[in-house]
Amino acid sequence: MSETGRKSRRGLAYGLALVIGAVAGGGSALALSGLFPGFGAMSDGTVNLDGWKADFSTGSEAADAYTRARIARHGLLALARTEAVYFTRNTDDQGERLREGCRYRLSGGKMPAQWWSVTLYDAESRLPMNTDGALSLDASRAGEEAWSATIAPQAPDEGLWLSSQGGGQFDLTLRLYVTEARLIKDPVATLTPPRVERQDCAGGAA
Amino acid sequence: MNRWIGPFATAAVAGLAAHVYTVQAAPAFIMGRAMDAMEQRGVPLHAFSLAPRTTPQTQTVVRPSPDLAYSVCRYDFDQLDGPLTVRMAAWDNYSSVSFFDGETNNFLTVRGDGKAREVVLHGPAPVSSRAHRSPTTKGLILIRRLAPTQADYDRVTGVSASDLCTADPSPAPPPALEPQP
Repeated sequence: MSETGRKSRRGLAYGLALVIGAVAGGGSALALSGLFPGFGAMSDGTVNLDGWKADFSTGSEAADAYTRARIARHGLLALARTEAVYFTRNTDDQGERLREGCRYRLSGGKMPAQWWSVTLYDAESRLPMNTDGALSLDASRAGEEAWSATIAPQAPDEGLWLSSQGGGQFDLTLRLYVTEARLIKDPVATLTPPRVERQDCAGGAA
Repeated sequence: MNRWIGPFATAAVAGLAAHVYTVQAAPAFIMGRAMDAMEQRGVPLHAFSLAPRTTPQTQTVVRPSPDLAYSVCRYDFDQLDGPLTVRMAAWDNYSSVSFFDGETNNFLTVRGDGKAREVVLHGPAPVSSRAHRSPTTKGLILIRRLAPTQADYDRVTGVSASDLCTADPSPAPPPALEPQP
């Protein structure tokens, strides 16, 4: 091969290496930061309470670069932990992915916070596109003591309801506003998070 | 074999650089896009705008809470000669005013606790150590008010009219006149 041909191939190899490296580096960054649509979402975190995951550095400069990127994509304008703490889960108590075709019992009790809510989001971190007006349950409706609600695409005959209609593979976010200080120090001892029990699924599989 | 070392090293360096740049730049990029989208939707600069009640049909940011009423103010210290005065009108349930810089950091939050609150925000340039400074020239200010029902939200529409986000705060109203003897 001529000298010109060798130089040309060498240049091509370096150019290709540059492109492959940039694509792999950028792609891996997007994946690790949960920036691909429907990828990663908010269910990663440093605190895991019975499947509810949180990152207490949310909203602060102390958050690492990956967390900040993930929060920017899936929880933009989230508050720092001094004001609010966010837990998210996308599985039921048996570890199965939450999905629209199943019916779940969500239950809990008093929370160590001035106010709390549980809201249902789709895999794109958006409220599912339905008109049920039942995408969130908060302390003012659940009361101070033991409470339970049904998560299903159709309203139950009675009781509180979170609509999963249009949610596909969804997740739940537990917001705790103005928490007791000990929650940050010792979340395991302070918070008993809501349970998510699968009741039944379309097609009969529970 | 030696001829592949150069391209492998090039790929590794390019990959590392692209990875670090993407992760570091993502928050500012996403925040910038969010602020641009708000501008296009008519959210004014240096003024609060109450968002419509949060529903699947009205959501404009990821993971909004249907239980909260949001008022937002965009700011840009490149277009201001001085500080920004932010007032949050009193609300009889949970309320807070939170400040986010151009890289999504929540650098300040003030809780209402049933009272009106005022914050004077300065730009990134050095000022007295006790002043509140935005780390970046641009950012967002967000008031959250707990309003789980339509009736609550309707009340917020009245209360939020007294919120203020301005470089030119109105002087305090004059004291009521004493009855003449």
